Amino acid sequence: MLQHGKDAGTAPPPTRRRFIGGAAGVAAAAAATPLISGCGGSAKADGKRLTFWNFYAPQQTQDPAIKAQAKWLTDLVKQWNDSHDVKIDLVFIPGADYNGGYKLPSAFAADDGPDIWLLSPGDFLRYQNGGVLQDLTPHLDKGVVEDYGDSLNSRTVDGKVYALPMEVEPLAMYFDVATWEKRGLSEGDIPTTWDQMLDVGDKLRSKTTAGLVFETNPGYYQNFTWYPWLWQGGGNVIDGDGNAAFDSKAARQALGLWQDAVAHGIAPRTMPAAGDFLSAFKTGLVGMWMNGIWNVSNFKAYAPKHKYGFFKLPIPPGGKYSTALGGWAFAANAKGNNPEQAAEFCAWALGKNDEECIDRMVEWCTVAKSDVAPRKSVLDRATEKGGYDFWALKKFKDDIAPGGRAEPRYPPVVYKAVSDAIQGTMLAGKGVNSEVERAAQSIEAFMKSYKGASLI
Amino acid sequence: MTSVAAPDRTGKTEAATPAKPVKQGMSRKHREWLAAALFILPDGLGLLLFVGIPMVLSVVLSLFQVSGFGTYEWVGLANYERMFQDPMFWESMRLTGIYVVVLVPVLFCVSLGLGLLMKQKLPGTSFYRTALFLPYMISLAVVGLLWKFMLDEQLGVVNKSLRGLGMEGEPWLGKPELALFTLIAIMVWVMMGYYMIIFLAGLQDIPKEYYDAARIDGAGPWAQFRSITWPLLRPTSFFVLIMSTVAALTGGLDLIFTMTKGGPANGTSLIIYYIYTQAFGFGEYGYASAMGTFLVLIMVLLAGVIFKVTKSGRFDDGQ
Repeated sequence: MLQHGKDAGTAPPPTRRRFIGGAAGVAAAAAATPLISGCGGSAKADGKRLTFWNFYAPQQTQDPAIKAQAKWLTDLVKQWNDSHDVKIDLVFIPGADYNGGYKLPSAFAADDGPDIWLLSPGDFLRYQNGGVLQDLTPHLDKGVVEDYGDSLNSRTVDGKVYALPMEVEPLAMYFDVATWEKRGLSEGDIPTTWDQMLDVGDKLRSKTTAGLVFETNPGYYQNFTWYPWLWQGGGNVIDGDGNAAFDSKAARQALGLWQDAVAHGIAPRTMPAAGDFLSAFKTGLVGMWMNGIWNVSNFKAYAPKHKYGFFKLPIPPGGKYSTALGGWAFAANAKGNNPEQAAEFCAWALGKNDEECIDRMVEWCTVAKSDVAPRKSVLDRATEKGGYDFWALKKFKDDIAPGGRAEPRYPPVVYKAVSDAIQGTMLAGKGVNSEVERAAQSIEAFMKSYKGASLI
Repeated sequence: MTSVAAPDRTGKTEAATPAKPVKQGMSRKHREWLAAALFILPDGLGLLLFVGIPMVLSVVLSLFQVSGFGTYEWVGLANYERMFQDPMFWESMRLTGIYVVVLVPVLFCVSLGLGLLMKQKLPGTSFYRTALFLPYMISLAVVGLLWKFMLDEQLGVVNKSLRGLGMEGEPWLGKPELALFTLIAIMVWVMMGYYMIIFLAGLQDIPKEYYDAARIDGAGPWAQFRSITWPLLRPTSFFVLIMSTVAALTGGLDLIFTMTKGGPANGTSLIIYYIYTQAFGFGEYGYASAMGTFLVLIMVLLAGVIFKVTKSGRFDDGQ
């Protein structure tokens, strides 16, 4: 307050020390306020505001595919917020940080995990065994579990659903039409066996073109892309009774396939175009590349005129076709601010029988993204609406996905044992037999002491 | 403290007025100590808060089995036992050893060489100095992505150049025996500018007269380096050695994360990356803390050895 007259003349001028002291006091008071109030305000504390961590929205982007996905999620949350008392805030985490980054695990370790988040099959057991997955079953409409069918297998424990898939993403072998034609190959050369695939890859390769691309970076994704080759020979990491089953002929031949492809220079040791799938195709860097359905929408958005094709993964002699079905799911935090409402949101978004819910999922799987729908009703509706009329999506739905198996939910020790076997044989030239035996021993040792939800 | 009357313009001191009573405060020594403490306080608090306390917590955490979801179970030294029996831990330590033993001397020599070169008054020195320092200012994640493209097996500029010279290209990040050394080369590229500047500062502190005298005595460039530059640069060299060793032991995570993910076949899974994956990939926070604690012990030991061998960079003291 300004002072005038007599008093004003006698008031001592503020000293620097007094100013600094005062500023420090204000700063301390400002800093202490959120600490005292629990950092997050009352709305969060009483469960009226929930957070939804994801790698889609909200974000500003010029990428038409990502823009459509971000809009779908933003609209979804807006629709919920407009009709419910408990509000949801979307929290965007870039994909690279979300997958393999430290943010999500650190948040849960600090008991400050999100209320709702996107969960991959590879991470399912870690969160389930950690007791943070809320049971979604009571919130689902009647018949929804049956409607999901096998898509729920890797998200169910003791008959209870702990995460709801938003998509099914099968793997296939993509090929570049121009490169094929340049090498004198045609549709009649599409391989159906492993040997044929290696032969075609050999014809496609050159100094600047990779004949056949398998994932080379270690991680859950590489394992995910390797499992189909194991399954095709009748192999498993864990068998149907929950026992370790890695030491098998099927594991040896699947590891041998990738090893041979690299050793003979048919498959590269690193990802072409630094892993940029579309750039590699557009610049003729690859002949064939094993990849997922999500690239259909990428081709549509970025290279609509580029000629490409894909085919079912070839099989070994006496083998049976299989592919891996990936895809993310909504999960609710059992230790969050309001687990019941978080679970209700997941079910409202993906687990109801009403038209709105089904149309929403159709939109996600066929417009915002290019995926096979995880529910039969959604798949039927999308087909009716022409969502799978486009040749590539139709082929994924009708030819590629049937016969596929859901991505396994193995815990880190099992994942790592398999990953080391793949990496060792593929890129370090280690013996297939010794790597299979080492991995099998590691998995068996782990299984003896494992306590937690079923691995299959 | 005493008060003295100020002299007037004639230089005479006025008759002393009765001196005001003097406060019996701190001695000069204590005041200086207090000032020093106050200067150190902000940094000290920061270190305590962000380094000291986390270090202590990490040691405590290493004695627990941590679920990653808020539950802790006391396991004593079990995480350390597991660490000593874990072949991947020892493999990561072996790789880290190779990484440090190769990176530190190469970085030292390259930086020193560049420092000596930049000290010469050659045309364009300022430009080159800035250009060489630039990589250090770029985030390691960006550096990783840049080099990933440049080292691309088919179309990368490195292999294209080699092919242009009639040589075969290499999968620089695709072979375990190559990938680690590729990372080392990139780290040298990133860090050489920083250590060059430190060496340059050290070189500029050496009095020019020493060189003049040596030249008059007929000393050539090598003799000048051996007898003047090298001994007088020892404190700087010691600092560079310590800092680059610590940086080599604890750095490079971003580069591995963006370029190799520890592959191929664990060929670039240095201990810092292994600790990271155990903590944030597998949720083994207790085990990761045990390895972190062990790594700190190794660093303290290494620093001790370097201090001992180099006598803290003062070889010539007392000679």
